[in-house]
Amino acid sequence: MSTLTKVLIVLLTVFSIFLCGIVVTYVANAENQKERADGLQRNIRAAQSKEEQAQKDLEDEKQRAQSEKTQLDAELNKLGMQIKSLQGELDVANRERNQLVQKVASMASTVETANAASKQQTSLFEAAQQEVQSLRTEQTNSRKDLDETNQTLLEKMTVIAQLEDQVRRLTEENQQIETQLNQYLQQYGRIAAKPPTTVATRSTTVQPVQPGVTAPAAPTRTIALNGKVTAVDLKNKLAEISIGADAGVKQDMTFHVIRGDRWVANMLILDVSPDRAVGIIDRSEQGMEPRAGDIVATNL
Amino acid sequence: MSPMPQPRGAKVSLPSNLYTAILAVAVGVVLATAAYVTVACYSCYGTIFGLP
Repeated sequence: MSTLTKVLIVLLTVFSIFLCGIVVTYVANAENQKERADGLQRNIRAAQSKEEQAQKDLEDEKQRAQSEKTQLDAELNKLGMQIKSLQGELDVANRERNQLVQKVASMASTVETANAASKQQTSLFEAAQQEVQSLRTEQTNSRKDLDETNQTLLEKMTVIAQLEDQVRRLTEENQQIETQLNQYLQQYGRIAAKPPTTVATRSTTVQPVQPGVTAPAAPTRTIALNGKVTAVDLKNKLAEISIGADAGVKQDMTFHVIRGDRWVANMLILDVSPDRAVGIIDRSEQGMEPRAGDIVATNL
Repeated sequence: MSPMPQPRGAKVSLPSNLYTAILAVAVGVVLATAAYVTVACYSCYGTIFGLP
C-alpha cells in the first residue's frame, strides 16, 4: 500500500467523521417543520374562524347601526317638530310674560295707590273707632240712666195701676150705693138728683222706654194701618212687615202684632223702605213669639 | 505471511490492517449517521422520503 493511499484513507476517515458530526448536529438542532406547519395551520383555521365571526359581527353591527340610525332619524324628526312647537310655545309665553310684566307694573302702581288709601282708611278708621268708643261710653251712661228711669217708671206704673184699681173699686161701690139710694128714693117717691156715676175706664198704660231708642214715638193712634209679618228673626228680635213708606209707615211707629183675636207683641219700626219695613220686637206675650203670617196693625 | 512469495532483493514490509480498521471506523460512522438521520426523519415527518 503506498503512502498516498494511506494518506487518502486517513483524510477520508477524518472528513467523514467531521461531516457526520456536522450532519448529526444539524439534524439534532433542526426545527420540527411538521409541528410548525401544524401550528401554523391551526392558527390559520383560528384566524379564519375569527374572520368569519368578525364578518358576522360586522354584519350584525351594520344592521344594528342601520336600525339605530333609522330610529335616531325618526327621533330627530320628532325632536325637530317638538323644537318647533316649543319655539311657538316659547313665543306665546314670551308674549304672555310681556303682558304680565305690563300688568304687574300697572298692578304695582295700583297697589301703591291702594296702600296709600289703606293708610288713609286706617287713620280714618282709628279716628272713627275712637269716636265710636266715646259714643259707646256715652251710650253706656245713657243706658244706665235709661234703666234707672225705666225702673222708676215701672214702679210708678205699678202705683198708678193700684190707684186705678182702687178708684175703680171705689167708683163701683159709689155706683152701688147710688143705686141703692135711688131704690130707696123711688120707694119714697123721690128721684135722685145726681146721675148715676160710671165706672172709670182703664187709662192707657205707659210703656217703658226701650234702651237705645231715644227719639219719641210717632203718633200712631190716628193712623189705621194693617199689614202682615213677612219674616221674623227671633235671635235678634227683628221682624219684617209687608207695608212700607208707600202705605204711610214711618220710622219709630209702634205696631201691634195680632194672631187671631190675641195680642202677641209690640213692634217698633226701625227702618222703612217703600214696600216693607223692619222693626224690633219690644214686648211680647208670655210664651208667644211673632211669626210670619201674623197681622200687624197700628190700632187694636 | 503473504501467499505470494516475495522476490529476492525487494524491500520487505510487514503487512498491516491498521488502515483497514480506520476505513471500517469511517464506514461505521457514516452508517451510524445515516441511521440517525433516517430515524430522526421518520419520527418527525412519518416518512423517510418525500413530504408528509
